[in-house]
Amino acid sequence: MQVFRAYFKVMRGAVASLAINFVVFIGLAVLFSFIAPQARPMGFEQTQVPVAIINRDTDGEISRGLTQYLEKVCKVVDCPDEPEKLQDALFHRQMEYVAIIPSGFSDAFVSGEKCSIQKIIVPGSTESYYVDIIINRFLDTVNLYKTYGGTGESDSLSWIISSAMDDLQVEVPVTMIGQAAVSVGYQTGYYYYFNYCAYALLALITIGVSTIMISFNEPDLYMRNLCSPLPRRRMNLELAAGHTVFAIGCWGILMIGGLIMHGKSLFEAGVLGLYSLNALSFTLVCASIGLLIGTFVRSQNAQQGVVNVVTLGLCFLGGVYVPQSIMSKPVLAVSKFLPSYWFVKANDAISLLSDPSPQNLGAIHTSMLIQVAFAVAIFSITLFFSKEREA
Amino acid sequence: MFGHVFSYRLKCLVRDRDLVFWTLIFSILLGTMFHVAFGHLTTESEKFQPIEVAVVDNEDYRNDPSLQAILEELSSAGQNHMLDPVYADEKGAEELLNEGAVSGIITAGEPVRLTVKEPGIYQSILKMILDEHLQTTKTVANIISRNPQVVSDLIEGMQSENGYRRDYTEQISFSGVVPNMNLVYFYALLAMACMYSHSWGLRNATDIQADLSDLGARRSVAPTHKMVVVLADSAAALVISFFEILILLAYLSLALGVKFGSQIGYVMLTCLAGCIAGVSYGSFIGTLVRGHEGVKTGILIGSTMAMSFLAGLMWVDMKYIVSVKVPFLSYINPAALIADAFYSLYVFDTHRRFFINIGMLCLISAVFCVASFAILRRDEYASI
Repeated sequence: MQVFRAYFKVMRGAVASLAINFVVFIGLAVLFSFIAPQARPMGFEQTQVPVAIINRDTDGEISRGLTQYLEKVCKVVDCPDEPEKLQDALFHRQMEYVAIIPSGFSDAFVSGEKCSIQKIIVPGSTESYYVDIIINRFLDTVNLYKTYGGTGESDSLSWIISSAMDDLQVEVPVTMIGQAAVSVGYQTGYYYYFNYCAYALLALITIGVSTIMISFNEPDLYMRNLCSPLPRRRMNLELAAGHTVFAIGCWGILMIGGLIMHGKSLFEAGVLGLYSLNALSFTLVCASIGLLIGTFVRSQNAQQGVVNVVTLGLCFLGGVYVPQSIMSKPVLAVSKFLPSYWFVKANDAISLLSDPSPQNLGAIHTSMLIQVAFAVAIFSITLFFSKEREA
Repeated sequence: MFGHVFSYRLKCLVRDRDLVFWTLIFSILLGTMFHVAFGHLTTESEKFQPIEVAVVDNEDYRNDPSLQAILEELSSAGQNHMLDPVYADEKGAEELLNEGAVSGIITAGEPVRLTVKEPGIYQSILKMILDEHLQTTKTVANIISRNPQVVSDLIEGMQSENGYRRDYTEQISFSGVVPNMNLVYFYALLAMACMYSHSWGLRNATDIQADLSDLGARRSVAPTHKMVVVLADSAAALVISFFEILILLAYLSLALGVKFGSQIGYVMLTCLAGCIAGVSYGSFIGTLVRGHEGVKTGILIGSTMAMSFLAGLMWVDMKYIVSVKVPFLSYINPAALIADAFYSLYVFDTHRRFFINIGMLCLISAVFCVASFAILRRDEYASI
């Protein structure tokens, strides 16, 4: 077991890079589990668009009524009436709509003069369209009461507004069908955790495995090993055992991390097994990529560059950082040739799984098998080229 | 003498391929990844598209002329074009919904019903349209019960050309800028690239201190004044890093189409100020921290990543959150200052905020330079 022992002695040299990647991953995982929305509520909920209301007509009853109505159906965001701050917040989508009620709006509205709510929006956006409908809906209803509801002085503005508010509470019943009707873990903390595992597994395993291979492939050491009494077969087996222990170790640590951070909700959803199996398939891919890099790259500096490029490339293109659902079609078409795409696809399917029927599980298992096939293909390429080089 | 030291230093630095990779190629690759992953998500993709909706074509629907009228009005071409209805029987409509071909199903009846697969903005708009149908019916009933003599006026008013619906909103804007949030990522990337110039600063710091490198020892015994050497080294590092940033800037704006506004002079000034901050930060850490080069590189990369994270490189909301919750941090974080300088050039018409950023950046660089020179000057070595 000399080679196996030497394996972990060499690995100590890569501890710093491994630790940095692990800490970055844990940092991201913690951050995303904080910002990830909690489990989606059961049933239909109307979208609440973030809106800033700048009411410069504070005395107007209509303006007050409109503000109250918007507070009910939108998510009102506080923002000072300063152009720079409003522009900043709109640019960063802290709100999608700034509604400015100009002073004297209520009086002009009541007397039938032309008047309008000024809006600052992302031009043509769907959210702004939606808020337009809300504002117009309220003012149209008030206008109907104002124009036709009058029977005399008793029709104060407050009566008009409260009648309009009453009417606007009428809603159509909404039924939800299909998978999203039940509460599933999509976009919950553990979904992010397991997606980001792709980054951690790739970075940790490729750095570890390639560091070992670079050391063992160093020409002098390689020739020295060739003339040692230890058979080549035995040496390769011990190296393979080292890779397996290391890769499974990384996978195990990440799974334990997932259990510590999200254990309760994972057990409740009953998807821990599937997530960890998927991560294990990806672990195979990472180990084979590590071997490939270790075979081709000669220096530690070049290794850092190649590992970073491969890790970032696979994560970005596979949909680890940006959800596949919002990636463009041409990019997705290319991504299908990358193992990380299938890892994320399986994770997405697991998170949407409400009923573990053979049909639903079939798609997940197919994605996992495709990853294993990638691992085998990359491993074969590595073997082929290393044999070529030896020859 | 300055020219001599400068030109040889320039050659020396350019030949360091590892540093060229990390300071230039890595940023270009990262920018390309950003572009590939979400470059297509411009404000165009947020634009409203008429909603595909299935309408169950049954007895109830055929007997509901007001619902028919609303759907017809909202599906005809023009400003009010909000819906693209598909008529189907109940089973066909459900299939369409399950396939994701439509956002919802409208089923006429008492009352009219909406069926959806998931909540969302398009589903909410569908619900608003159907709510409006019920709400208007209630309003009209209320008015007529209270004020029966207006029936004919009311019907006439509602059926008039403009109807009772009006658009009470009027779009205004502070500037003609399209608020595309993805720009923040690219600005943060450029800020990171500027701060990565620290690698050149660190290399300079190592190559001038006699106890850190053989080259440093050799240069310490040369009769050239140390100030001249430090200035020539820094100038060479600055020239290379500025040149790299210009390549990156050209790649981002010309190849990837990232918008920086029209004030190219100010954009380049920001790049220069960013490079000065990066190089001086590298020199500062290189002279301040004693120990192995790996430790210094670790500190520099770790701190630059943290700065870039706070400037919005990994999560775009971060820059805004920091500027609102801990504004002090935005003023002392060089990466955030650089990213915000690009942002304010693009978004605002005035230069107040831009110059605050550049001013703070110069101040921070000056502190780094003075501190590192104070440590370097009059260094004497009894034994190395």
